[in-house]
Amino acid sequence: MSFFGTIWDGVGEMFDAIFNGDWSKENQIGATVRGWCGENETLADWINAGISLATLAAIASLSAMVLVYFERKVSGHMQRRLGPMRTGPHGIFQTLADGIKLFFKEGFRPKSADFFTYYLAPFIPMMGSFMILAVIPFDQHLQVANPELGIIYVAAVAGLAGFGLIIGAWGSNNKYSLLSGMRSGAQMISYEVSLLLAILLIVLVSGHTNLQEIIKTQEGGIFNWWIFKLPVLGLISFVFFIITTNAELNRTPFDLSEAESELGAGFHTEYSGICFSMFFLAEYVNMLIAASLATTLFLGGWHAPHPGLDYPGLGWLWFGAKTSCIIFLYFWFRWTFPRLRIDQMMDFEWRFLLPASMVSLLLAGVFMSMGWYIGD
Amino acid sequence: MDLVSAQVPAGFPETHPNELTEEFYLNMGPQHPATHGVLRLVVKLDGETVKGVVPHLGYIHRSIEKMAESETYVQNIHLTDRLDYLSCHMNNLCLCMAVEKGANIGVPERGEYIRIMICELQRLQSHLLWWATFGMDLGALTAFLYGFDQREQITDIFEDVCGARLTMNYFRPGGSYCDVPDTFIPRVKAVLEGMEKSLDEYADLVGGNMIIQERCQGIGVLTKEKAISYGCSGPVARAAGVDYDVRRDDPYGIYDRFDFDVPLGKNGDCYDRYTVRIEEMRQSMRILEQCIKEMPSEGPYRSKIKTVIKIPEGHSYANVETARGLFGTYIVSDNKPKPYRLKYRSPNFSNVNIIDEVAKGFKVADLVTVLATLDPVIPDIDR
Amino acid sequence: MGMINQLPKVLDPIPGGKMVVNAVDYLVNWARSNSLWPLVYGTSCCAIEMMATGAAKHDIARFGAEVFRASPRQADVIILAGTLTEKMSKHLEVLYDQMPEPKYVVAMGACTISGGPFYYDNYSVIKGADRIIPVDVFIPGCPPRPEALLYGIMELQKLIRGESIRNPRKPGEVESEPWVNRHQEAVAEWEKEQEAVEEEIAPQRAQWKEDNPDFKAFKHPKKPVEDLEKMEYVPREKRVGAEPFALWNIVHEKFPEVTLHGIEEVTEEALAEKGAEYIPDFVVGTEQYSAFVRFLREHADTDCDYIIQVTAVDFVDRYDVCVHLMSTTKKHKIFVRCSIDHDDPKIDTISHIYLGANWHEREVYDFFGITFNNHPDMRRIFLFDEFDAHPLRKDFDDPSRLTKRPY
Repeated sequence: MSFFGTIWDGVGEMFDAIFNGDWSKENQIGATVRGWCGENETLADWINAGISLATLAAIASLSAMVLVYFERKVSGHMQRRLGPMRTGPHGIFQTLADGIKLFFKEGFRPKSADFFTYYLAPFIPMMGSFMILAVIPFDQHLQVANPELGIIYVAAVAGLAGFGLIIGAWGSNNKYSLLSGMRSGAQMISYEVSLLLAILLIVLVSGHTNLQEIIKTQEGGIFNWWIFKLPVLGLISFVFFIITTNAELNRTPFDLSEAESELGAGFHTEYSGICFSMFFLAEYVNMLIAASLATTLFLGGWHAPHPGLDYPGLGWLWFGAKTSCIIFLYFWFRWTFPRLRIDQMMDFEWRFLLPASMVSLLLAGVFMSMGWYIGD
Repeated sequence: MDLVSAQVPAGFPETHPNELTEEFYLNMGPQHPATHGVLRLVVKLDGETVKGVVPHLGYIHRSIEKMAESETYVQNIHLTDRLDYLSCHMNNLCLCMAVEKGANIGVPERGEYIRIMICELQRLQSHLLWWATFGMDLGALTAFLYGFDQREQITDIFEDVCGARLTMNYFRPGGSYCDVPDTFIPRVKAVLEGMEKSLDEYADLVGGNMIIQERCQGIGVLTKEKAISYGCSGPVARAAGVDYDVRRDDPYGIYDRFDFDVPLGKNGDCYDRYTVRIEEMRQSMRILEQCIKEMPSEGPYRSKIKTVIKIPEGHSYANVETARGLFGTYIVSDNKPKPYRLKYRSPNFSNVNIIDEVAKGFKVADLVTVLATLDPVIPDIDR
Repeated sequence: MGMINQLPKVLDPIPGGKMVVNAVDYLVNWARSNSLWPLVYGTSCCAIEMMATGAAKHDIARFGAEVFRASPRQADVIILAGTLTEKMSKHLEVLYDQMPEPKYVVAMGACTISGGPFYYDNYSVIKGADRIIPVDVFIPGCPPRPEALLYGIMELQKLIRGESIRNPRKPGEVESEPWVNRHQEAVAEWEKEQEAVEEEIAPQRAQWKEDNPDFKAFKHPKKPVEDLEKMEYVPREKRVGAEPFALWNIVHEKFPEVTLHGIEEVTEEALAEKGAEYIPDFVVGTEQYSAFVRFLREHADTDCDYIIQVTAVDFVDRYDVCVHLMSTTKKHKIFVRCSIDHDDPKIDTISHIYLGANWHEREVYDFFGITFNNHPDMRRIFLFDEFDAHPLRKDFDDPSRLTKRPY
């Protein structure tokens, strides 16, 4: 299947699922709406679709705001200071203030920038992250769409986000932006390979591409999660996954595309106001997505660490807790590591990470055929 | 997008178009996070590879040398603060020493000890700030905060001593303008104690990091011959193997009484510049410890001088080792209270001169590393 | 944003609409004042204090202003940290224009208020940043303490909270006469104020004096100051490297025309009289200058491999080009001096002997207008090309730039 074919099928499936599928059938909210509408099923589907899309938007913008706030707080406390303090108690409304300010800020396009690409670019990463968010399984029934090829769809759409950066960088007509765009393009393409191999490993051992099914293979306590279930190999694969997602997210030590001390502001040098905040928002939503995927693939999704704690309807709490831990890990990396250089980053990917992921994939096959699992 | 402008920027030799690759010019600065102020670099790039760098100076040229001619010697001291504001005590000292040499003014023993201690504290402070910004330039943002946190303690001592945090204006011909307070020695002891603990940790946090090592080793190599020929000084030259430290080889004040080493680098790359500076901090702490032991607790802190200092006709020259290298003051006098001509020899001026030599052939990111390890203070270059 | 400015027009006629406009006002101002992202802009000393404000002890992050943006497109406030020179001012104007509305300017430090310590006899510093761009908040100090900068930020926040959609903020006016002397006006105003205060408190002061007739002002006890002769000084008699007389002998052998500056007859005693700190200062003719420097560099006993500086002095009737050399191996210093004609200042370059001399010679060219023959890159180094004078010449005068020191 071609790349765009996968995306197209995935999108089709997603819309199909949004209108006729999982949300409205399995979710409590969906069922309630259906109950209200009675006979009129079309109306119920439309309402359900509206609710689910609104939820997505809310999750995306809220999570980005919360993450930005926590990033600033965490970095502050790591650096022996307080971070934002003046907006609300402990500055909890800081990102809200930033958001409102950016919304009401003048946005202008440099005269020499290309109109179409300049304004198109900020929407692409945002759109990509929204599309992925739709298939993230926050709980057993808390998922907007559940396409059969879920993980492949995610991988395909994740590749889209990189285009936004390159298009924006090119459209800005700025040499710094261009350098940054080229860097991020090279980075995205190369690290995606290892990312996919890490994902493929889980698909291989679990035997599913559907995200819910992958989670269901990890049922029954902490030692059934793929990170521990595959002895050592799971952990290694998890580390690879974190490294590659870190690179995909353009965060330190791979933040070459917005390397402040080298390229000013990188690909968004020429963006101001709302367009800039789109890039900003997408970055944090993508972080949430990366952490959720790590949770889904390696940490048992919405399962509790012990089967006795698995209450139906509370899975999203476990999911959130695990995701938060991963996100904290990302924060920690960012405020600890210095930045790599472009050729070193490429070396690391092509000379180390890629062969290592391939070997681990091979080993996973061996492990699976020999049945070397911990847990049930 | 037109990357290759037809006009070749000033300072570059005319280039001949190449069919295989297109070179373009990138303007870094004067407002750029990596240039530590208002240095402007025009970089010729082939992709990400640096093909040539032409620095443009003068964006903070404040005509201090012209102003010096209409101010008396003591009035001039405050202007030296604003040259290299991170080693302003040393700059003050250099002007004072040149005046002392010209007008034959002596300095009492306690005054000399105060001078040495303050200067070494300043060196520590300056290197801490360099360490902080070095981390920031390489993307390790937390190092910046840690470095500044440590630096604040030394700034507090200076505030205690002379009331200012940055532009101290403390030394005078013949000593310093006031005695150190009683809290000075205990506070220095406390800082040294804290530094000893944290310096190893800090050096490990940044210098021990694998990424930093990868990014610094073998990058921006400066050979010994080039370093001498360009007139580089300070840690930059010593990292290249130039065994010259004004404190040891042309001892001013009472530096000949102390026992300290001059750290030298082997390769002259960025990592050597890093380690030399870290080691210099340790040596400064050693000097400070010796000072605390030997400093007389009683005695005058400055000699009595005339209110109007006149230097007999002729010239006098003095140089000191600031945190960045050899700082010199050259006074031409005509037996009047104001200097006829005052020339400052700034270490950064020569140190930045080498940037084209050392950054050529490396990546843009390496240019930032090189600039961070040269540690330029732009107002000192521009004067 | 143009849209929001239309809000009062639309909403005011509707009942309750005014309240909505006021609420939006409040919300937007709250957001703007609490999210001031500064531009990474620092020229000199104040930049260090700005960085210190961002560091852990003072922590500008508490105000949500730690997001230093490197691109002016995303910045809200530009903190003018440091002196503003004429060469930089053009770039500052561009930076200011690149910032999107609403934008604010905080002038930090004395230099940006009035030129500060660089007010008099200065040909390159702009005497106040408000002559270039409109400034909202001035923070005095040289440099201001971090607390002062935080106070300035708080004042700016107050200013922003006073804004309204109905009555949009007008940025301050740029000083129309770029080189007007504001100092005298300020002094006059200050004196007037002081007089008023004096008049106001005069009765109270008289009353107080009546009540406390025995009062004597506190005086610091005078510390005894030792006599110049009685005090013990640290001796300054250290000679490093070769004896001047030995150097003289080496040079004299090869270049018999060369003399020592300030010494008529060179003998060992005459040089010893000069003291241990004496550095030999050779006077050489223009023809021999380059060859002489090369000789000093290449001779094994002089071995001057290190160039300290090349500079010049304007003696009205002539220029003296001074070259200061040093030996990193033998540790001695040698000065070379070469007098050249005042009307047609030209001299050979030594930048092929010392690579570092390149910039030093450019500096001399910039300040004195002395041309160096065969120099590879004879351009101005500090001043911009439109500056049509050489400022360190004694006859330099530029009334449009210089304010003469009145005392």
